[in-house]
Amino acid sequence: MTSLDVTMTVNGRTVTGRVEARRTLADFLRKDCAATGVHLGCEHGVCGACTVVLDGCTARSCCTLAVQADGAEVMTVEGLADGTDLHPLQEAFWARHGLQCGFCTPGILLTMRELLADNPDPSEEEIRESLSGNICRCTGYQFIVEAVKDAAAVLRASSADRG
Amino acid sequence: MKPAPLDYIRATSVAHAVQVLAENDGDGKVLAGGQSLVPLLAMRLSQPTVLVDLGGLGELSYIRDESGHVEIGAMVRARTVEISSLIADAVPLLPVALRHVGHVTIRNRGTVGGSTAHADPAAELPAVLRALDADVVVTGPSGSRTIGAADFFQGFLTTALAPDEIVTALRVPKSAPGTRVAVQEFARRHGDFAIVAVFAAVELGASGEIAAARIAVAGADQVPVRAAAAEELLAGQDPSPAVLRAAAAEVAGATRPFDDIHGTADYRKKITAVLARRCLEQALPTAERSSAA
Amino acid sequence: MTEQHLPPGLIGARVRRKEDPRLLTGRAQFVDDVALPGMLEAAILRSPHAHARIVSVDVSAALELPGVFAVITGAEVAQACALPQPVIWRLIPDQRMTDLYALAHDKVRYVGQGVAAVAAADRYVAEDALGLIEVEYEQLPAACTLDEALADGAPLLYENWPDNVSCRQTVPKGDVATAFAAADVIVSETITYGRQMGTPLETRGAVVSWDPFTDRLEAWLSTQSPNLARDLLGEVLGLPVERIRVRTPDVGGGFGNKFDFYGEEVVAALLSKRSGRPVKIIEDRLESFVANAHSREQRIEVEVAAKSDGTITGMRGTVYGVLGGQLSTVGIGPCWAATVLMPGPYDIPNVEVTVVGVVTNRSPYGSYRGWGQPKANIAHERIVEKLARELGMAANDVRRKNLIAPDKFPYPSPVFYYDSGRYEECLEAAERAVVDRGWAKRQAEAAKEGRSLGIGYSFHIEISAIGPSRILNQAGLQHSGFDEESVRIDSTGGVIVRSGLSAMGQGIQTALAQVAAQTLGVPLDSVTVLTGDTETNPYTGYGTGGSRGAALGGGALLRASTRLREKVLRVAAELLEASPDDLVISDGRISVAGTGVGGRSVSMRDVGDATYRRLDGKLPLGETPTLEERDVLDPDNTAFSYGTTAVLAEVDRETGRVQVLDYLIAHDCGTVINPMIVDGQLHGGAAQAIGGALFEEIVYGPDGQPLTTTFMDYLIPTASELPAFETVHLTTTADHIPGGFKGMGEAGTIGGASAITAAIDDALRDLGVGVVQLPITPPRLLSMIEAAEAGGTATDVEEQS
Repeated sequence: MTSLDVTMTVNGRTVTGRVEARRTLADFLRKDCAATGVHLGCEHGVCGACTVVLDGCTARSCCTLAVQADGAEVMTVEGLADGTDLHPLQEAFWARHGLQCGFCTPGILLTMRELLADNPDPSEEEIRESLSGNICRCTGYQFIVEAVKDAAAVLRASSADRG
Repeated sequence: MKPAPLDYIRATSVAHAVQVLAENDGDGKVLAGGQSLVPLLAMRLSQPTVLVDLGGLGELSYIRDESGHVEIGAMVRARTVEISSLIADAVPLLPVALRHVGHVTIRNRGTVGGSTAHADPAAELPAVLRALDADVVVTGPSGSRTIGAADFFQGFLTTALAPDEIVTALRVPKSAPGTRVAVQEFARRHGDFAIVAVFAAVELGASGEIAAARIAVAGADQVPVRAAAAEELLAGQDPSPAVLRAAAAEVAGATRPFDDIHGTADYRKKITAVLARRCLEQALPTAERSSAA
Repeated sequence: MTEQHLPPGLIGARVRRKEDPRLLTGRAQFVDDVALPGMLEAAILRSPHAHARIVSVDVSAALELPGVFAVITGAEVAQACALPQPVIWRLIPDQRMTDLYALAHDKVRYVGQGVAAVAAADRYVAEDALGLIEVEYEQLPAACTLDEALADGAPLLYENWPDNVSCRQTVPKGDVATAFAAADVIVSETITYGRQMGTPLETRGAVVSWDPFTDRLEAWLSTQSPNLARDLLGEVLGLPVERIRVRTPDVGGGFGNKFDFYGEEVVAALLSKRSGRPVKIIEDRLESFVANAHSREQRIEVEVAAKSDGTITGMRGTVYGVLGGQLSTVGIGPCWAATVLMPGPYDIPNVEVTVVGVVTNRSPYGSYRGWGQPKANIAHERIVEKLARELGMAANDVRRKNLIAPDKFPYPSPVFYYDSGRYEECLEAAERAVVDRGWAKRQAEAAKEGRSLGIGYSFHIEISAIGPSRILNQAGLQHSGFDEESVRIDSTGGVIVRSGLSAMGQGIQTALAQVAAQTLGVPLDSVTVLTGDTETNPYTGYGTGGSRGAALGGGALLRASTRLREKVLRVAAELLEASPDDLVISDGRISVAGTGVGGRSVSMRDVGDATYRRLDGKLPLGETPTLEERDVLDPDNTAFSYGTTAVLAEVDRETGRVQVLDYLIAHDCGTVINPMIVDGQLHGGAAQAIGGALFEEIVYGPDGQPLTTTFMDYLIPTASELPAFETVHLTTTADHIPGGFKGMGEAGTIGGASAITAAIDDALRDLGVGVVQLPITPPRLLSMIEAAEAGGTATDVEEQS
């Protein structure tokens, strides 16, 4: 069984490790990089709780081997806030009660971040479609949808300020 | 749910990948996007001795505009195809169909070569390749060959690929300008594998008649099904409700569905006819339908 | 009816949750995030057979695998344990108990039952080792369905039983025979409710460290019931509970699944003892579909006798609970609840209901949010709808005719006293909201386009605030039902609340903080609520289930905080040289009433300092130092919440697909602590109800093999399948609970399926379809539609799979 050296950037820090080829990126991030905000809800690519940003696009870290991410840049939910300033999505989820147990939340936040980057003013239907790859068993999604709408408005306003 | 022990080789070239597969005599497995394979590894339903990762092969990551067809390298991500303006213009059915593949996060990683080689009969891409008479380019120890989609998909998760061959590209014929496309997919939840999905690309003639139709079905057989009889029935016809209904029945007739927990064979056949009719209705403009009716 | 009035303030405010910043930033700690020095990871070998005798288990090759530290078999577990896995709900005195241990040693009785376990360097190696364990089975004929288990000559799961029936009990009220003899009309129905489960997104898990020198056990459990788990660990392992500490980290959803006590907790402990290392067992998703409590699966026969004006005079019912291969922690509990609550919100004088518990070669039947009540609800609501059709009445008119009137409370049902309610007002609030939302117009407009929309209602009651300990004990519960809370103000005026309840997403920390902050008159930010450690936190009876946390915890904390406030005022009075009666507390400052801004005042910090540090001349003589109170609330009765659910749904007659378009709940849970949290609970419960009505089913093959062991096959609805939810609130307080709180954590799950089936029937009313099987999947509904169109019996559903 091969073990390989891998190097990647996780939330801005370079990490190196020697991993078995079979080790999933999710386990590498959780156990070897202490990024325990990466959650394993199904380990077969359906629930979305393990979603991370891999080289700029969201990816299921349970469906990716750590060795596949050698040389990559990875962001987890731990990298979402700016210092101690919560990201507008985090603020909106807090204000709108967009989470209950919070287990699915890291994956949802990163998925919604990608949605809003691609589509700054999504309709409710577009938000729901984009959310449909992430299972939340607690909320019934309505307050998540409302939080995403709020965050989108905040992000649009701040990009207008900058622009 | 952790993969069994395995070796891993990051291929440095297509030839290298093929060589590793050949050396492992059928016990090697190609890793592309990993969206289907890694869960199978985690469930230990697949226990290859060695994984050959194509992730480093930039040479397989291209979309090329050729005369008469578009060539898509095997390692192009589904999401890249979905948002490519070249593809949207040349093969409009493809992005419409790929939007039904899982979710954006899956499409960010899943590759066209991986989906083709996996050959899930409920998957969208194989059905589109079948509808459009695309060719699959495969490379083995003795070089490359081209296999038509009709011959490539042989059964449930079974293809014409030899154990030491890999899919390197897809050649998808360009659709005629003005081709109308539609997809009707019935899945229990958004993003799930289809219970049944129907894909149609229709060319209209000068007076609004159907010049040619291409129709394929996913989820209703061990392989993606081409509805040739329905296509023949439609050719040259005005798209009246009666014609569409008759064609839809032919589409269902072309399938040999199976039972699973999400629906019996009988159910699949019934909704194939419904989806086929709706798909054709969606592909054809309302005004022309009503004027033809 | 009297009502408790609380001054406006934090109780009733939509404040942001205190739990959230950690959860939003990845800083939460779930059980799989617990990492201890030297910790091993375990995996369990599970039976591939539905029913088989274990001939031999050979673990020698597994033990030799590098990285493996310990292996344990079922026989060794039985030897090491003082008692088999417990059943705490023993409601039927002559019930046959299954008395099995954490791993199987003689027979396996369902696919997925644990047979052996491995602790290894990590989970990868542990799974490698499972492949090296050789188990020889002698396969036995299996009884995989209710009918197979009840058939003459059925294979016996327990060979010392005469049949596969674990228990049978009839609960009467009034004279049902006379009621049926005198009825103008009798309608009956048989309803099949599919097997489903809670599927919290975080699977269950345990980390246990057993010190073999001192026999002290430290456990981290993803559990809703830490005190119960601690007591049961003590019973099963034969340890005094003072040596056992159960910590509950963040819990990623419970939904009843994590109320129960499972074999994995025991196995982790024994592997730790054997290896001398802490051992972690995290159930993976595939395992969760066989090893986690299943629920809901029942066949329900119900019939009512009525007068021609719609007045229901009698009800008979039988619930067959499909229990699986061994009794879970809660035994017949949920099926019994479905049975005795079958009359629901209706004033039915004569009732006779029977529960029959049947063992089958399926996974055990345990707790899932709703706990029997969704099935009681589908029984009374389906039969009311059928009665209305039979009499040519509107279903809501039949409901109105029979809903318990406000002046009849407390109302004696066959078993429980319902405490209070304004049921008819609640129904009418929902009807008004439906009019406001224009559903009838949407339905009519859709009909013009050839689309089939339907409107359906249901009325539900929910037992909450469980519950009086002695009465629960008399009923057969081997545990208590009180709640204890403690509250302390520290030397700088900060407030610490300690609770034995589990925080699992329901916002209990925020709700308790609101109660303490309002009662003490301090800012919400100054209150910290600590949960999740049996060594330092109070004892809660039962656990965090039965919709009891906010009601009983809130009530106990309200009383404790009220007494603490009195002490604060006495100390402040000394500092201010005033009478305690003249003082007011606001935003953490205690001042003399009427002196306005700039008047004499002291802060909570001053009071804390005078009580803990610089006492002389400040703490009144006779007062003890420290500011701390505790209270135990063992209520005189449970509290019944209730609500009306209304659903607008569309049926695609060509495919059988149902889309829920709009969803409304009018609801009353007494005093609301945080309306935002209450709405979130209602939404989430409703989402689970929609899942149960339309999507979710654990399917078994004819050989007892489970066919739905992934999230690709067990279909939890996503955002695209669910509608927006609207809520309307009434407030009828529970006068026997301090604060007037009633629980509501399960509400959304109870009435949803009933309203959805009513909406489907309404959309297909020209066909006379009546849905009696759940979930109503597209293939099932399409075959009903086709049968009805062909003139067949609309309720005959072709069974698939």
